[in-house]
Amino acid sequence: MASPPTKYEGRIGGAVPRFSWGSSLAILIVVGLAGWSYYGTEFDIVDLLTNTEPATRFVSEMFPPDFSTATLQATGQGVLETFHMSFLGALIGAVVAFPLAALGTRGVDTVGASRTERVLRVVPYHVARFILNVFRSVPDILWALVFVVALGLGPFPGTLALAVHSAGVLGKLYSETLEAVPSRPVEALASTGADGFQSFLFGMLPQGMSNFTSLTLYMWECNIRSATILGFVGAGGIGQQILISMNLFDYSKVATLVGATVVVVLVVDRFSAAVRKRITD
Amino acid sequence: MTSSQRDNALEIRGVSVAFGKNLALDDVSLAVEPGERLAVIGTSGAGKSTLFRAITRDVGVSGEIRFGDRRIHTLSKRELREVRGSVGKIHQAYNLVPQLPAGVNAALGDVVNMGKLRTLHTFLAGPNTALAKTVEAAMERVGLAGMSSAKTSNLSGGQQQRVAVARLLVQRPGLILADEPFAAVDPVTTERVFDALLELNKDGASLLISLHDVELAKRFPRVVALKEGSVVYDGSPEHLTNEKLNDIYDGDMEARPKGKEPEEPGPDNFSGPDITRLKGQDGISAH
Ligand SMILES: Nc1ncnc2c1ncn2[C@@H]1O[C@H](COP(=O)(O)OP(=O)(O)OP(=O)(O)O)[C@@H](O)[C@H]1O
Ligand SMILES: [Mg+2]
Repeated sequence: MASPPTKYEGRIGGAVPRFSWGSSLAILIVVGLAGWSYYGTEFDIVDLLTNTEPATRFVSEMFPPDFSTATLQATGQGVLETFHMSFLGALIGAVVAFPLAALGTRGVDTVGASRTERVLRVVPYHVARFILNVFRSVPDILWALVFVVALGLGPFPGTLALAVHSAGVLGKLYSETLEAVPSRPVEALASTGADGFQSFLFGMLPQGMSNFTSLTLYMWECNIRSATILGFVGAGGIGQQILISMNLFDYSKVATLVGATVVVVLVVDRFSAAVRKRITD
Repeated sequence: MTSSQRDNALEIRGVSVAFGKNLALDDVSLAVEPGERLAVIGTSGAGKSTLFRAITRDVGVSGEIRFGDRRIHTLSKRELREVRGSVGKIHQAYNLVPQLPAGVNAALGDVVNMGKLRTLHTFLAGPNTALAKTVEAAMERVGLAGMSSAKTSNLSGGQQQRVAVARLLVQRPGLILADEPFAAVDPVTTERVFDALLELNKDGASLLISLHDVELAKRFPRVVALKEGSVVYDGSPEHLTNEKLNDIYDGDMEARPKGKEPEEPGPDNFSGPDITRLKGQDGISAH
């Protein structure tokens, strides 16, 4: 890109890029896409602000929330189920992700490796990456639909859905962690005669461990949010109760359920964030 | 060292290493007898680290490197691991795994002798009794008795360098490659590490050490100087005259031999181990 030297104009300019055809085109494209999407989604801010009657009715019927024993019991059960699903999903996901991540990570030492050796090493790498990509790119709610169709309604297909999606996400994050680990200690091990397995065990794993733990906790946080909506497709958790109450127009019960969900999500978020902070410090 | 004596002879013949267009080593030849000790000097970027990395095949080369009767760059993976197991390395930046206990880092000197099962056992439960004893003795030798279970990252830089030496003591290599081992440690640790390396040498291990401190290098019976990837001096330190040193170091004003220009003030006159030049700790050239 040898551009002719531009005439110096005596100004340096700030952090915002100055006018150029490239940036004007970019702005034009963003504006164009925004307008197109505006019409595509029938976005209507006027409607939102003027037609407030259904919204106010919905909100006013939510209060006071339903604190009857039956509702509280159902809420507790839903919360607990959501909790169990998210936790087990993250755990199974981690267990599945780990070996796939180890395979899907580029090794260090390839100097002098023969062609066949390199090919042999590349095959499991690409297979593992491919599996992880499939797991990850299908959203958990779609996995839930698949498992509900295959296994029937309930929290079990939901948990499996979370596990598969978590495995995909964690596998990618784990192998990125392993690849970013400082390489000198690992190379030092290899040049002392350690084989690939030993270098992995003593060099990469200890250096990546705290990241693994904190990523897994983060996955659990994400799962508890996901688990609340998996019920909408019949895959268990508190979402199922919310959907039923919605369909029965029992908005005060919905209020209790949603409130409990928010509390649980916040508590798990805080807890996990605190633990993660301790680990990485 | 008895029967394996000859196995530790190192012969480097016409070795070149290129990084892209940059010739880091240019037709280097060097023979090191078993049990010999020599210092490698040269400016920053002269190729010292690259030479050491070539010997354990951390970089590809043209030319030939023989360790005993084995040609390093044609060995199978398994044979290469065996050779690496008998070459001990120590770097300026320790290169230990910071999260492991110091004793496990030292125990990894024996990694080449661990089968799958013992590897797993060491990973989960630590070194077995025999190895733990060896490790404890080695840690004691370097003045770190009782520190084996301390987390490595909690040790000071000098202590970590001594753990690296303890790893060598556990490994008992036939050839030691020390790449600027004193660049980041204090004078006392320098002497200590130096003594331990000399002792291993006395036990029969050949010792190649790269140094920025010419005075320290002169304590070796043989000095090899690299300049822009080529050997420009190979002989006893007596013949290493001032002119020759100036020639070796010209173009790199920072690295002029110390104690040679008493009129120059500043850190260059510091005659102890060279702690003023931590260059390379960040970059590619630190290996
Ligand atoms: N991995 C690499 N990729 C590209 N160039 C490299 C690499 N390693 C070393 N070099 C280059 O090879 C040359 C020799 O480097 P080397 O690290 O061997 O020097 P050195 O004598 O050890 O220097 P120092 O005293 O600074 O440690 C330098 O020009 C360096 O930039
Ligand atoms: Mg170097």
